[in-house]
Amino acid sequence: MLDFMEHVQHAFYEASHWNLDNSYGTLNATARALLDFQTPRGLRLQISSLAAPNFATSYTLGNLGVVDGSVSYLYSSLPLQRRLKSSELDLHNAIRGYRQLQELRRPDENWWWEIWHSGKRVDRRDTLLYGRIFLPQSRLEALYLRRLTPTRQLRINAVSDSNLNNGGTILTLLQNDFGKYSTEYMYSTDSALIGLRALYNFGADPRVAPTEPTTAQQVAERMHGRFSAGAELYYGLLNKSGGISTGLRFTTLPAHTGFPYTMTLTMNPLMGNLSSTYAVKAGSNLALCSRFDFNFYSYESELQLGCELWRRRRNTDVEWAVKKLHPDWRQPAAAPDNDVSGILKARVDQHWRIGVLWEGRIKELLFTLGASLDLKKREQIFRAVGIELQYSS
Amino acid sequence: MAFNFNWSPLIADTSRARDMLTTALNKGPKPPIIVDDITVTELNLGSTPPELEILEIGDLAEDRFRGIFKMTYTGDAFLTLKTKVQANPLNTYLSTKPDFASPEPLAASAGLTIPLQITLSDIRLSGFVILVFSKQKGVTLVFRNDPLESLKVSSTFDSIPFIKNYLQKVIEEQLRVLFMEDLPAIIHRLSLRLWSPEFQEMDTETEERLDGSKSTIAPIDPLSSPPQDAVDEFGNPIDASQMATLALDSASEIHASFSQKNMLRLAALSQSQRTLSLFTPGIREAVFRAWASNPDRPDSGSATPALTQSSLSRIQSNFASVKSNASSIASGSTGQDTMSSRPTLSSTYSSAAGLSLGANRARGHQMRKRKKRVVDLRKNRDGAESSGLSTEGNTPLHSTTVSETASSVILEEREREEEPLTSPPRSPAKPNVRFDPKHGRLDISDPSRLRETEKTLSASTDTLLAPAPLLSNPPKPKAKNLANAPVHHLVNAVQHEKPRSSSSRPPLSHSRLRSTQQSSSPLLRSLSFDKVSAITQNQFQNQKNHGGLGSPPYAESTTSSSGGILEQAWMMKMAQDIARKVAEEKGRSRSRSPREGAEKRTQGLWDSGVEELDAPPAYVA
Repeated sequence: MLDFMEHVQHAFYEASHWNLDNSYGTLNATARALLDFQTPRGLRLQISSLAAPNFATSYTLGNLGVVDGSVSYLYSSLPLQRRLKSSELDLHNAIRGYRQLQELRRPDENWWWEIWHSGKRVDRRDTLLYGRIFLPQSRLEALYLRRLTPTRQLRINAVSDSNLNNGGTILTLLQNDFGKYSTEYMYSTDSALIGLRALYNFGADPRVAPTEPTTAQQVAERMHGRFSAGAELYYGLLNKSGGISTGLRFTTLPAHTGFPYTMTLTMNPLMGNLSSTYAVKAGSNLALCSRFDFNFYSYESELQLGCELWRRRRNTDVEWAVKKLHPDWRQPAAAPDNDVSGILKARVDQHWRIGVLWEGRIKELLFTLGASLDLKKREQIFRAVGIELQYSS
Repeated sequence: MAFNFNWSPLIADTSRARDMLTTALNKGPKPPIIVDDITVTELNLGSTPPELEILEIGDLAEDRFRGIFKMTYTGDAFLTLKTKVQANPLNTYLSTKPDFASPEPLAASAGLTIPLQITLSDIRLSGFVILVFSKQKGVTLVFRNDPLESLKVSSTFDSIPFIKNYLQKVIEEQLRVLFMEDLPAIIHRLSLRLWSPEFQEMDTETEERLDGSKSTIAPIDPLSSPPQDAVDEFGNPIDASQMATLALDSASEIHASFSQKNMLRLAALSQSQRTLSLFTPGIREAVFRAWASNPDRPDSGSATPALTQSSLSRIQSNFASVKSNASSIASGSTGQDTMSSRPTLSSTYSSAAGLSLGANRARGHQMRKRKKRVVDLRKNRDGAESSGLSTEGNTPLHSTTVSETASSVILEEREREEEPLTSPPRSPAKPNVRFDPKHGRLDISDPSRLRETEKTLSASTDTLLAPAPLLSNPPKPKAKNLANAPVHHLVNAVQHEKPRSSSSRPPLSHSRLRSTQQSSSPLLRSLSFDKVSAITQNQFQNQKNHGGLGSPPYAESTTSSSGGILEQAWMMKMAQDIARKVAEEKGRSRSRSPREGAEKRTQGLWDSGVEELDAPPAYVA
């Protein structure tokens, strides 16, 4: 489940029309959500609040051996309208699962953002500031996010911790999203790492084509899927080492009539790593994913399987009656996903390492219950067990 | 004196050592580049044993041994390690960084693990080894200096010179740490398994705690269970029938290799010197000094002053009620001080029981002190002798009486402890006094143990007198002219120490020295003899250790009280270790035994626990 503050940041992206999915870094976001989810450890409580549309606070308290916690504040110059109360938020927004990509959106024109008042431009760039301090480690995380132009965003992440080399690290990320393609440039103070990422979407250019089909022919020719290719390159100036990878993705768009699915293939030519994922949303409540890794230098291979299952409460007593009365009738729910009793995520790999996550909402509390198991180690099957509780108002 | 180190049984059974090395290497956090456990696949000690040169022998008894050796090794031992390393630098780089500011590469950080095999061979070692053996505590072996001279590292990546050089550098670094820190621990645990079954239990417990996978093999004795997968020196596996003979052989050999026999022989020899037995094969050029008496018994304490010094050393053996092997050279002081009485080996058992109640520091000091009683087998060097301390006889000695009440002793010691402990004792008289306050204070830190204080006091006096003399001129055997011996020593000592005190001053004439010595009390005679020579010896040692560094003499005198930094650290470490173990043992026994039996039992335990702590006999050669 998304942390409250991440959720708020997503809300900011949404409000500022930034497409998170159109980046090489999120090329295999679906597979990672289904296979690489984190299982909680120990007990963790989070109380958060979007006190004002521009201001959010969050407090966490954890108990893993020692009691620790964190305090975080977030300021957004853009008023956030998304419902973030734990009692009424949309679980689909809060839970990382199968990511259904949407049609590419035409980027805003620069002049759309201009606001003039009595002959002077008064508009300001949307900015998000976020800070979080972990106690008692005294570790400080800070984030500065600024939408420079409709196609550009600056993101600065900083961590200050006395345990780190040089006392901390700063990552600067400049992202450009032109719809058709996107580029990212980054610099990290840690060993002076510079990075470059790019993603190119094949098919129609959203900047020239109208975003909405108007004629009947255009409706018929609607894109059912999107093919993307990307690459990334890193080089550490100080340690003189680098990394490179390329990737392909094909994913269905909402216009696709069958099961939505996503396929990715990433390759690291330097290290000889080849990874392919296939994720399918087999129904509104079920998503399945598999990943196969192969290294053609060391001949090591790895297989992982994962699934996501939404369990819904059924009023079996009345459902048959309702069906009989009106087969197409749907009960208007008070809150979205109010009938969801929980979401089960599970993964297993070839070494019989299993991760299980049970997420959901009880009354006004969001809970995450997780465990990671290792069936190969008989004497210590449970590697980690944990529960997370979130409340936000 | 000869020690028979039998190398062949050590070659045969390396499986256990291999396991222990594996555990030692995998304990603690590994660098992120190493992604798998480090396994020791091959360990061969080679056919060439290391050369050992005996420099000093300290504590020597049936079940104890302490000595300093110079070790050189140019054998054909080799060691093969296997592990897996992460070849992607980005992967290892990211694993140490916080997630929040991570660039989160998509696939550029994908790992590539490469199996790595490292063989260490052509190991050249040379260093000073301190070996402490006790039946209770096992074998402790530490290196005084960095023993590694050179070694050859060959690995899977030998074709790439950059990696080869890097590995060579890193492994040398790691090996230095291993020799200085890990190896003593490994040997200690190994010896505990071999000798003391009661520790073995504890040992396995801790091992289970440390790593989840418990080893079922924990043999008490090499006899009872032969090595699991033994190989001979050529690496060929040994079958069971061969093993049976080998195991029997090696069992006797193993003890021999730790010179049990020789220690017994030496003990017998030293005991025969303490009796009036006519069969006393005297050790040439040796003086046995630390024949401790048993003065901490109240009766002996009161009796001591009345007796003359010459008679005392013989009669004292009657007072040594606890153990006959403890004898004394207590110089009865008739006049102002009674610190002359010296506790025996056995009597300090009980006093040390009181000691061990105190902080670890007490033990540390005690051990540090003890270290000075050594048999020095090195050749005399005239240059070093001249660095002795002087003015011993002229300095008024701070002394306490045995018969004094404990409280007064505490008071006195309190005021003395005001002196900063770290301040280097520059005046030669100070080390005498400086040490016993510490001991005294720490010893009687438990106020409920008032009864112990007297013992403690004597213990402190013991430690005061403890250091071993190193005399350049070997005096005549004591049995012959006991009364003359101290005088003779003093003269020698003063002669040697004098140039150091003031290098500008001309040496005092012999006659003047003699007069000084005659005017001084009998206590002084004994004290100065011990002290001065001890300090001299320390000087000597330090100078030798520092080599040609040319450190100034006062620096040496500061270290003389506490030994080298390494030694200190090691001592503290050992002391803490022992304290912890004793505490554990105590706690266990307490929880086990009922109330009335508890005291008795603890006493016994304490005895066994502190056996190593008490004052050992020391000789001069």
